[in-house]
Amino acid sequence: MRKNIKLLPFLFILFMCVFMLAACGTGEESETVAGEGSKETASEETKKTEEPATDRLVVYAALNEEDIVEIEKKFEADTGIDMEYIRLGGAGEASTRVQAEKDHPQADIMVGGSVEFYQPLGEQGILEKYTSPNAAEIDDKFNDPNGYWQGWYMGVLGIVVNKERFEEELSPKGLEMPKTWDDLLDANYKGLFLSSNPATAGGGYIFAATQLFRLGEEKGWEYLQGLNNNVHHYTAGAVDPINLIATGEFAAGMSWAHDIVKSAKQGYPIEVIVPEETAFEIGGAGIIKGGENTENAKKFIDWLLTKEVGEMNTQLSNRYSVRSDVAPPQGMIPVDDVKLVDYDRTKAAEMKEDVVKQFTEMIGQ
Amino acid sequence: MTTTILKIVTRNLLFYLTFGLLLLIISTFVIWPILKVVSFAQLENFSELFTNSRWSQAAIHSLMMTMISTLSCTFVAFIFAYTIARLEIPCKGLFKFITILPIVSPPFIVGMSYILLFGRQGIISKQLLNLNVDVYGWHGLWLVQTITFFPYAYAVIYGVLKKSSPSQEYAAYNMGSTHWQVFKNIVLPLSKPGIAGGALIAAMSILADFGNPMVIGGNSTVLSTEAYMQMIGWFDLSSAAILSTTLLIPALGLFLLNRQWVGKQSYTTVTGKESYSSHYPIPSYIKWTLFSFCMFITVIVLLVYGVLFYGAFTTTWGYNWSLTFSNLDYVFSKGKELTNSIQFAVLSSILAGVLAFPLAFIVQRKKMGMNRFLDFLSVLPGAVPGVFLGLGFAIAFNAEPLMLTGTAMIMVIALTIWNVPTFYSTLLAGLQQISSSLEEASQNLGANNLKTFRHILLPLLKGPFISGMVVTFLRSVTCLSVIVFIYSAKTSVGTVSILGLVSNGEWGKASSFTVVLISIAFAVLGISQLFFRNKRNANDY
Repeated sequence: MRKNIKLLPFLFILFMCVFMLAACGTGEESETVAGEGSKETASEETKKTEEPATDRLVVYAALNEEDIVEIEKKFEADTGIDMEYIRLGGAGEASTRVQAEKDHPQADIMVGGSVEFYQPLGEQGILEKYTSPNAAEIDDKFNDPNGYWQGWYMGVLGIVVNKERFEEELSPKGLEMPKTWDDLLDANYKGLFLSSNPATAGGGYIFAATQLFRLGEEKGWEYLQGLNNNVHHYTAGAVDPINLIATGEFAAGMSWAHDIVKSAKQGYPIEVIVPEETAFEIGGAGIIKGGENTENAKKFIDWLLTKEVGEMNTQLSNRYSVRSDVAPPQGMIPVDDVKLVDYDRTKAAEMKEDVVKQFTEMIGQ
Repeated sequence: MTTTILKIVTRNLLFYLTFGLLLLIISTFVIWPILKVVSFAQLENFSELFTNSRWSQAAIHSLMMTMISTLSCTFVAFIFAYTIARLEIPCKGLFKFITILPIVSPPFIVGMSYILLFGRQGIISKQLLNLNVDVYGWHGLWLVQTITFFPYAYAVIYGVLKKSSPSQEYAAYNMGSTHWQVFKNIVLPLSKPGIAGGALIAAMSILADFGNPMVIGGNSTVLSTEAYMQMIGWFDLSSAAILSTTLLIPALGLFLLNRQWVGKQSYTTVTGKESYSSHYPIPSYIKWTLFSFCMFITVIVLLVYGVLFYGAFTTTWGYNWSLTFSNLDYVFSKGKELTNSIQFAVLSSILAGVLAFPLAFIVQRKKMGMNRFLDFLSVLPGAVPGVFLGLGFAIAFNAEPLMLTGTAMIMVIALTIWNVPTFYSTLLAGLQQISSSLEEASQNLGANNLKTFRHILLPLLKGPFISGMVVTFLRSVTCLSVIVFIYSAKTSVGTVSILGLVSNGEWGKASSFTVVLISIAFAVLGISQLFFRNKRNANDY
């Protein structure tokens, strides 16, 4: 009798295991079967208007959850295409995934994050070339000459300041709110300023490269060295400084303007300043070669470039649209007033290794 | 005659079948994915490790941090284990809780809680004590890593201390030994498998951790953070692969050192002979010193998780501390993610046990040529950063014959494999204590392998088994790194939502999500504990 009792829990556990695994498996199968069923009936309706194309679209989205939810709703309403998305942490994560899955692509399109991540994917032959007819309405710098990626929004670098700490500690010393990159060299910021590391953060690198483009090689490095005296530490990610400044650990820092606005909207006492000669990233979208619904992915890109979508995304994400006829995000200056530095993307990519190396030596951990 | 030969043949056949099966599983789900990622590294780039000063710095920091944190982790873990297992003190339940709470370490939020408390403007460091401390750097990281990872070492050490019989200690006391002599010559040496196993698992977890160094490390970087950022931040798979592969070298070193240290001595104290039920009393000044030490750590842990808990119900996390419940709204729209988290964690902790049990048994009991290799493979997944393992899974199982992408199966298997080392170390330490004479006796009495395994080993290993299960379950619930490249729309889990909220700057919602996730996890633990309790009462009779 005792023997049986002892065996019971073990058997029970094993049984549960097998059962639960089986449940997972069948659950999924039945779902996909159901999905296919509904797909067929639905596609029959749309067949009249289209060729044999599917009515689905699978999106890897390196965007905020709320943004992609709204995009899904609107895209489905506008086109009748059934969109499924997987939200990923960032463009690095998305492109790593796309590359890992290249033998059997799981998604049709990747959207969001800097085009710097799309470039190498295109070169590796993982992206499908496509130039949307709507791209003609957009400034050339947002269109990939090779056709692998399409820019659809723009983020700019900004300065984040904790107003409370600034008023308490820096205003009494006669400091005014910083307006330019050069204002940050003031020695009063020593130990109170955060930036991100070019070796690990895309934004951190764009910032460093901006200074080199803006001031030239020699002066640029002098600037970075001067700022280094004020920087408490360089964070691993570009957005990491924001929360540390929002909670008052540090007084000021450098990060993406739209991310700063986002945190400010949460109720933190922070303010964003977009200085002159700032740098920008182009937010991209790219079609994954070998996806099941490539035609729909093309439609998605056409749709992304419309004015209506541009306006919606600007409102949601606080980022500029690539369309000049879309108003700037709330709380930010008009795009025409943003003075962008003359940023040479090709050169920036080429010199990255050297810049990172010199930078590492400069901060000499 | 022929029947005995037949018996031996079938017995061995069963054994070799199990052995072969294990080897197959381990090679498929450990070696293959790891090889897939390693193959991204271009060989000529390895020299960069020496020329790239950032990387060589990172390597040195990694080694340093692993070394000092492992020492402190093991020290803290031993004191906790000794105090809880041996002393008659109040608050035992609380201390036990503290030894599992830090295992629940959701991405980034715990690190930020430390900063809120001990940062430059920290509630404790600045507002309470008015100190001018700077947590960012190796010393701050050391504190955080010690508290985050001592529970891993504790789980192994406690199992060993609890099981060891005090008869040898009594003998020593009777012959006039002092407390110190008994401790130094008997308690400590006999705990060696536990200390070694615990230290190894703590060391590997510290080596592979990237989250805490990212938040607390300041300007000093470690290899795993660097690998993570190369992958996530720059999409440089070659560099990430080089850095991660480099991590395997210290991991191998730690492993060899560890196995060398434990050696071939006997640590058996569970022999089936009669045993004393209570331990020899310890002088009260020692008792209360140990108690205070545990209390000190307990207070720190409670503060950190208290801030996390409180933050979940505040208007603006870390700034406006007025209470609100609005953060919870979001959580309830994510029921599927929460269910997935719990379901995958339960399955993977059970499966990890099912896998770790025979592995530990074969390695410890059957002296075979392949043992060292199997032994190493069982701890290997703990030494590579979770993202690295996850990426390997994404690449390796996205093609026939094992097309698993997007399924719940790949999530469960990845978590299982990631959990095997912890579970395995706990069981191995437990097995080293149990004298094989018990099994021999059972076999002499006519029981076969299976019967012996079931009726002798299984009941004796129940303690390590349960603690292994608890640790792996909690780890899985709060795991992000392993699954970040393999979740799909249907199999997304709670930590993915947390990461999304954190990167969106919504720390309040992120911590309320975390609090709900942790609460559900502990509720599940509580219920299963009740279940096991009842079973044990029925059995122990």
